[in-house]
Amino acid sequence: MLLDPGMDLTLRPMRYPDFYERYRAAIRNTWTVEEVDLASDLADLARLTPEELHLVNRLVAFFATGDSIVANNLVLNLYKHVNAPEARLYLSRQLFEEAVHVQFYLTLLDTYLPDHDERVRAFAAIEHIPSIRAKAEFCFKWIDSINRLDELRTAADRRAFLLNLICFAACIEGLFFYGAFAYVYWLRSRGLLNGLASGTNWVFRDESMHMEFAFSVVDTVRAEEPELFDAAMTRQVTEMIDEAVEAELAFARDLCGDGLPGMSADDMRRYLEYVADQRLARLGLPVRYGTENPFAFMELQDVQELSNFFERRVSAYQIGVEGAVAFDEAF
Amino acid sequence: MTQELIAPPAGVLTGTAEAVSVAPAQATPVERLAEQVERACAGLPDADPARVLAAVRANGGVDAAGLRDLAIGEAAALVGVEPAYSRVAARLLGAKIADEAAAEGVRSFAGSVAVAHREGLLSDAPAAFVAAHADALNALVDEAADDRFEYFGLRTVYDRYLLRHPRTRRVVERPQYFLMRVAVGLSDTVEDVRELYALLSTLSYLPSSPTLFNSAARRPQLSSCFLLDSPRDELESIYERYAQVARLSKYAGGIGVSWSRIRSRGSLIRGTNGHSNGIVPWLRTLDSSVAAVNQGGRRKGAACVYLEPWHADVEEFLELRDNTGEEARRTHNLNLANWIPDEFMRRVEADARWSLFDPKETPELVDLWGEEFDAAYRRAEAEGRYVRQVPARRLFGRMMRTLAETGNGWMTFKDAANRACNQTAEPGNVVHLSNLCTEILEVTSDGETAVCNLGSVNLGAHVSGDDLDWERLRSTVRTAVRFLDRTIDRGFYPTAEAEGANRKWRPVGLGVMGLADVFFKLRLPFDSAEARALSTRIAEEIALAAYDASADLAAELGALPNYAATRTARGELHVDHFPDAAITRPDAWDALRAKVAEHGLRNSLLIAIAPTATIASIAGCYECVEPQVSNLFKRETLSGEFLQINNYLVADLKRLGLWDAATRDAIKRANGSLQGLADLPADLRELYRTAWELPQKALIDLAAARTPFIDQSQSLNLFMETPTIGKLSSMYAYAWRSGLKTTYYLRSRPATRIAQTTITQATGAHTTGARTAPDAEAVACSLENPETCEACQ
Repeated sequence: MLLDPGMDLTLRPMRYPDFYERYRAAIRNTWTVEEVDLASDLADLARLTPEELHLVNRLVAFFATGDSIVANNLVLNLYKHVNAPEARLYLSRQLFEEAVHVQFYLTLLDTYLPDHDERVRAFAAIEHIPSIRAKAEFCFKWIDSINRLDELRTAADRRAFLLNLICFAACIEGLFFYGAFAYVYWLRSRGLLNGLASGTNWVFRDESMHMEFAFSVVDTVRAEEPELFDAAMTRQVTEMIDEAVEAELAFARDLCGDGLPGMSADDMRRYLEYVADQRLARLGLPVRYGTENPFAFMELQDVQELSNFFERRVSAYQIGVEGAVAFDEAF
Repeated sequence: MTQELIAPPAGVLTGTAEAVSVAPAQATPVERLAEQVERACAGLPDADPARVLAAVRANGGVDAAGLRDLAIGEAAALVGVEPAYSRVAARLLGAKIADEAAAEGVRSFAGSVAVAHREGLLSDAPAAFVAAHADALNALVDEAADDRFEYFGLRTVYDRYLLRHPRTRRVVERPQYFLMRVAVGLSDTVEDVRELYALLSTLSYLPSSPTLFNSAARRPQLSSCFLLDSPRDELESIYERYAQVARLSKYAGGIGVSWSRIRSRGSLIRGTNGHSNGIVPWLRTLDSSVAAVNQGGRRKGAACVYLEPWHADVEEFLELRDNTGEEARRTHNLNLANWIPDEFMRRVEADARWSLFDPKETPELVDLWGEEFDAAYRRAEAEGRYVRQVPARRLFGRMMRTLAETGNGWMTFKDAANRACNQTAEPGNVVHLSNLCTEILEVTSDGETAVCNLGSVNLGAHVSGDDLDWERLRSTVRTAVRFLDRTIDRGFYPTAEAEGANRKWRPVGLGVMGLADVFFKLRLPFDSAEARALSTRIAEEIALAAYDASADLAAELGALPNYAATRTARGELHVDHFPDAAITRPDAWDALRAKVAEHGLRNSLLIAIAPTATIASIAGCYECVEPQVSNLFKRETLSGEFLQINNYLVADLKRLGLWDAATRDAIKRANGSLQGLADLPADLRELYRTAWELPQKALIDLAAARTPFIDQSQSLNLFMETPTIGKLSSMYAYAWRSGLKTTYYLRSRPATRIAQTTITQATGAHTTGARTAPDAEAVACSLENPETCEACQ
């Protein structure tokens, strides 16, 4: 079974071809930080109101460390226990993507904050900004929850692992990051910070896949060991998601203050509840809030893009094309 | 994307918000906005003001202008639910623009020109003309025509085209003043203005962006495209070429530049007894230069580099856009195109070897085409002057890979481009490259930079009942050609090489947009025989009318100075090179021949189908001759993201009572495809196939059928969801055999995508164990589309 302790090296026959396909799909969507053009953002930053600037600075400070935390958990807690080489291929690829994200946000920060001391403060945000600190503590709590486990021998071990996995997929990538992306697209909907938004498009695409991979691991374990998913587990997941919504909401209150044009802590609360319901539904659990998505601009993120080269770069091309020259194939 | 003009409700479009407000003075900003939104929804029964206002009321602490901006954004975001909100957003934006212009003291067209002239934006002559005819010109303005704009079109006009006060950055034009100003810049009389403005205000025809930007301006750079010959194989010439590119780029021109004359890697440099690093370092410098020139902040500079595939650096050239590998050998801002002789394609088909040369050793190859090229190439090969040899198919496969990975490395065909070109009658006059968008084919040389001035007819606006209004189409074309011809004389040219060539050859490029609108309106599937026949007939009629207009201009003003060097002067029209051309009006062609024989032509070239990305947005129609890319997609531009929905489809679904949340979600989930929606009638699914779902053979066949009537070329994008080398090589070989002169982007789609957040999530509990196919594959895998279905092969 997928969570059995060990170091499985057998790729043929392959037990979980879906994981391998996800790995290959991820490779086809390779992007690099150098492709993101942040030039127009600097002019936008100069135009922002103090309230908007506060929001952007907080957001960047969160991004500065967010992906590093995810990468650490991946190495320390996930890779060890997901015992299928094809799944580990995907996790290796995910690790690379997290590294690209870290590099992207580092580049962003270096660009947005020319002052050396400000950069240092941004990376230290996790220490001294309470709303970011609270989110980090939530993450660390769940990292620590299984950090001592070397092998998943008992049902209790496996449940602890699943909670960690679900936490990082549903709460951290699926809620904290989704919340952060919503601010980016809100700014974008007002014609601000296109560079940040275009990089975020790619980060968002990657994070969506990470989340979906984690959920398919959950699905697989559920199929193999349905008894792990008991009422206590349901309660714990629900509580965890509640806690994440609260932490993200505190962050929203810090970012939005008394409200900005088209964005307020209350809007964000409704959005987070809406997203949390989506995560619960994906996990096969009853939805909790029944809230509708308040952000019409997020509709745009669900629809495919069409750029032309006078605008921003087209971000839709493929890596890893196969086949040989032929003249009789249908097209 | 319809053109119908809904009767504008009184008051919406005729004045500023303040001027028509009937709210009491003590009304709150929210109340005043509510009144504006009500008016913007007038005559649109499917638009609900309360829905727009809901999001606005929830947010306090914003002033009146900020509230209206929120309402505009909210209405725009509702387009996916109900397309009428596009009109609502556009009307609100129109009111915002009017207020902004009023704040600069602009209340009439003449007033707008006076302010813009005072601020140094417009040149003296048009300003004096407007001052002298203020009343007559003001009376021509049709403010109600604003209601033809969809939101994205008006937004584009507002963000990028309206003149702005240099200091306050507020607009000093309203949309109709802008169109009037464009007309004035190309006119001598009020009657001229009336004629051109009538086309512009009905969105029946639009000149290209440089003309829209710069008509009547102090530096009226009106040309879209510049084609520069390869620099000579020496340092000074290379740097001189950079400077030319920068000067041309500054004024909103797109650049095509060949690099085929520059020696390849390892070639001996006699002056220093060192070895060349090849073309890549030079192209890196060009890349930086292009990125630095920002076209006045209105759009980014853009250039395409052309290289012939016998150049020994061709493999490195094909890697320039990769996003992996050494950054020092990458150019992320340049577009790339292969300039391919037939000999190469023949070798590919025959699976023969292909020789790569250093142009320093074979300088003759660049200036030859057709049989002379073939002979020179084989001679150089026989003499062993090549750097190395490769299997032709391997290089072709590499080209296909580049297309799939980057969309770039466009396939353009040197011999087809030269063979029928009106400018290549005399030896030494050679087409060396195409332009940034692969629709311009004109001769270049070291001292001659080819230029083209473009404009496009909105075909969708010429449909009447169940046919095209052919007479109106001809009339539009005649007017368009007359004013395109004027841009040649009124334009400001950033370089002497460009000015000299353009005055000598006087080429123009009249194109089309909205072909897909025509097909939707007439309910013709894109790949039907009827669609092909109609598309070809349109091309024929446009060519006939354009040549006829140009011959009339020649009679009135004289033939182009270099007329003696054209094929036309030798009695050959472009169409004569295509014995299989589907001629439907032989008598008209005979009459045209007689007229041309008597007067000559005013323009060496007349027809080119440009991509029309931006002007099609303004006109609210589908781009050039392209099928729709999706029934639902978003445009990302420098000014934001915009939802675009197929209005024809929505109208059909409403008629069938099927336009509900479930259908909308299903279309969104399928990336704007209908093919998986089994409940819809089959004819609807067939009509509304997207570019990804149509056989690409049909696109190539349509393009090939119109080629006899296109004396330059066409920007033909091809689409493949999941490209493979085998499918691509089959497709491009077919395009070459069909006689296409050029192709443009290969469009493919992301391998993975963002998880959709605004569609209700299916639960995961029941999907366990099932392989979850990415939606892209789900779309591709449908019975309507077996050719792109990989899962079943």
